[in-house]
Amino acid sequence: MATEQSVDLVDDETVGLFTKAVLLAALTAALAQISIPLPGALPPFSLQPFGMFFAGLLLGPLWGGVALLLYVLVGIAGAPVFSNANAGLGYVIAGQGTGGFLVGFLVGAVVAGAIAHRSIAPKPVADLSVPVQVVALTAAVAVVYAIGVPWLAVVTGLPFARAAAVMAPYIPLDLLKLGIAVGVVQGGYLAGR
Amino acid sequence: MLSYRPGSTFAHRLDPRSKLLVQFGLAIAAVSHPTLPWLVGTTAFALCTLAAAQLSPLAVLRSYRVVLLVLALAPFIAGVALGPPWFRVDPALRSALHVGRILPVLLVSAAYLTSTPVRDTRAAVQRLIPGKPGQILGIGMALVVRLFPLVLADVREVRDAIHARGGEARPLRDRARLLAVRSLERTLDRSDRLSVALRARCFAWNPTLPPLSFDRRDYPVLAIGIALAVSPLAPV
Repeated sequence: MATEQSVDLVDDETVGLFTKAVLLAALTAALAQISIPLPGALPPFSLQPFGMFFAGLLLGPLWGGVALLLYVLVGIAGAPVFSNANAGLGYVIAGQGTGGFLVGFLVGAVVAGAIAHRSIAPKPVADLSVPVQVVALTAAVAVVYAIGVPWLAVVTGLPFARAAAVMAPYIPLDLLKLGIAVGVVQGGYLAGR
Repeated sequence: MLSYRPGSTFAHRLDPRSKLLVQFGLAIAAVSHPTLPWLVGTTAFALCTLAAAQLSPLAVLRSYRVVLLVLALAPFIAGVALGPPWFRVDPALRSALHVGRILPVLLVSAAYLTSTPVRDTRAAVQRLIPGKPGQILGIGMALVVRLFPLVLADVREVRDAIHARGGEARPLRDRARLLAVRSLERTLDRSDRLSVALRARCFAWNPTLPPLSFDRRDYPVLAIGIALAVSPLAPV
């Protein structure tokens, strides 16, 4: 006798948040392949953190975290989504000693979303004040470094202070990215999202 | 670039869940003890996994050359001192041992990547994580893999359009803002269309799961994965 199983439809609001998370994961992967070269010995200006910033601001802690978790899982599964088209668990652990920053982006999106929205359900970005956005994204950047720098020290065997000194030149660039992300929200480009 | 290659090697015939466990187990084992015998043991095991996937170690090292070159700088940075003797050997050697632990993890990862289709990993994740979270992550992974090339093409198109209008001359802040805004707009438009498409197709929490099954050959591999994962508890 055939058994009947009813279809358990996903509600419309969840579908909307899920598709945004999927597309922001794909956007983070795309931005990881794009960087703007800077003159001299400065590190290239990577656009990857924008994925974390917008996931946290647009989707809140739960779905922002899902977006970055999807990005990391797809990379572990073998899709070439990490910088320079890398993939695999080995890259998440090692990277160029920078694997911790990938995990940091995931936690950073959750932290940014939690501070910006102060609930699991995201508010419209237009309702987020500039100071709240700045605090949320600064906390996200701090979390990324709090995870990434000790990870770098463990992977490479560098003393913590030396690992921090290696990563220090990237901090002003990350703060510039933070300012641009807030500028994008304030410019009304995400109105109605 | 390391990616899936169809084949019928021993590694190809394993269930992705067994391979994932070995991969995680070796990562735990490799980073747990920064000692030379441990490094030799884990590297030998990693070479065996390459043999199981019929992969050339040299080809894998070539694929990871950028990662390895950057990591190779770490012992140099660790050894440099800001006064006499200007370079200290002990910290450099200690750093070299730490960096060396990463090699077996990269090798096993390469064996996994070349022997496992992305859809199998997606199915494994969907089965390993129970309930709705597993469904969301499984379906989400499948969609990200399909949509990533489209979003990447969108971002490249936006970048090329900025270049075509002489965008290189603009300040860095403007270039980054333009690229972020235009890419995000296109991405959110795609998200709206995907949302409508999923609802039109009755997106449900209980779709049919892709088939996966353990074979007899998977059980010893699972046991090896568990042994590797708990190996840090063994005295060295």
